[in-house]
Amino acid sequence: MAKQQVKSGDNVTRWIVIAMILLVVVTGVVFSMMSQNNKENASLAALDGTKLMPAVVSTIDTANGSAITLNAGKAKVIDIWEDPQCPVCKNFEDSNGDYIDSLVRAKKVTVRFHVLSFLGDESVRAANASFCAANEGQYLDFHHALYAVQSPLENSGFWSNEKLVSIGKKIGIKSTKFENCVTKVSELELVKANIQAMSKFGVTGTPTVFINGKLWERKSPDFNLPEFKAAVEAG
Amino acid sequence: MKRFNPIFHPYLTLLARLLLGGVLLVAGGLKVTKPTESANAVAAYKLLPTNLAHLFGYALPWIEVAIGLLLIVGMLVRPAAIAGGLIMVLFIGAIASAWARGLLLDCGCFGGGGELDPSMASQVHRTYFIEIMRDLGLALSAFYLYFFPYGKLSFEKAAVEEQ
Repeated sequence: MAKQQVKSGDNVTRWIVIAMILLVVVTGVVFSMMSQNNKENASLAALDGTKLMPAVVSTIDTANGSAITLNAGKAKVIDIWEDPQCPVCKNFEDSNGDYIDSLVRAKKVTVRFHVLSFLGDESVRAANASFCAANEGQYLDFHHALYAVQSPLENSGFWSNEKLVSIGKKIGIKSTKFENCVTKVSELELVKANIQAMSKFGVTGTPTVFINGKLWERKSPDFNLPEFKAAVEAG
Repeated sequence: MKRFNPIFHPYLTLLARLLLGGVLLVAGGLKVTKPTESANAVAAYKLLPTNLAHLFGYALPWIEVAIGLLLIVGMLVRPAAIAGGLIMVLFIGAIASAWARGLLLDCGCFGGGGELDPSMASQVHRTYFIEIMRDLGLALSAFYLYFFPYGKLSFEKAAVEEQ
């Protein structure tokens, strides 16, 4: 009798230990998920107070992979291949985005943005929305905003079409044309055309940058502005 | 088997517990503070639907830490060994499948993870092989622990002996 009691007491401890472990694991998971969601929604605050810049008319260069082309026909051409969800593309944008913007706005160079979407559905939605923003002449603004709020977790569900519309609204792209274009995924053909162009131009990853058709190979481990600037100026 | 050097079993068990438990504790501990990285790493294997992969990525570090701690202190050794062994088999399967499908991944075993660029192909294949061998060794430790769960410095064994 006494022996049995000891045994059942042992079992209780066993189950208590198991229950405690499960509790810790479940709490940990819930905590991890919540902190992720909070971070994503908080990132939208980064767009507060953003002023919409003057529109820059873009064209679609079908001969060069259907890229969003700004200042077509200049002597110097920069090709940028990137996926909105790619974290390294965000690094490139953080270091060199403002410089590229200034080149475009000064009408010094042709910049072709090849918006890729091989990282999943959220990239496809973001790429589509990028083409929609380009139709409004606000691609640079939208491009900047996407990277500003990019989630560190790929395909987390953050970039729904509704969220992409509200990102647009937050930075001042408010037309219903843009909204419809995003929610109806109207530019899917262009999205596909950009992906299909990868093999033709020998692009296997992002970000890939060509300066006057020549692949830019960075020497420093991180992207840095002086190096990129020198490469662009050297052509 | 039991007649063969019975004196060494408790020490071998302790060694296996520290090996498997230590690796799991370190691997989990390094990832537990970076849940996003872990979720991305699991998704990169493209074996589960994205949502499930993320959930698994969030849970895995915590599970690893729990199993690791149990093995090291020597509580619930047998169930922990079963769980640890299953996880190792799962890892071996996942890495082998990534290899077979031609994916180039950082396994994300101790943090990090995600896709690698094609220039690293030959290096990655060698790493896959080493990782599979390592996990196989750890799976064998788990197998051994299933049959000889209590060894030296085991919390549970001490509790049992006291009675």
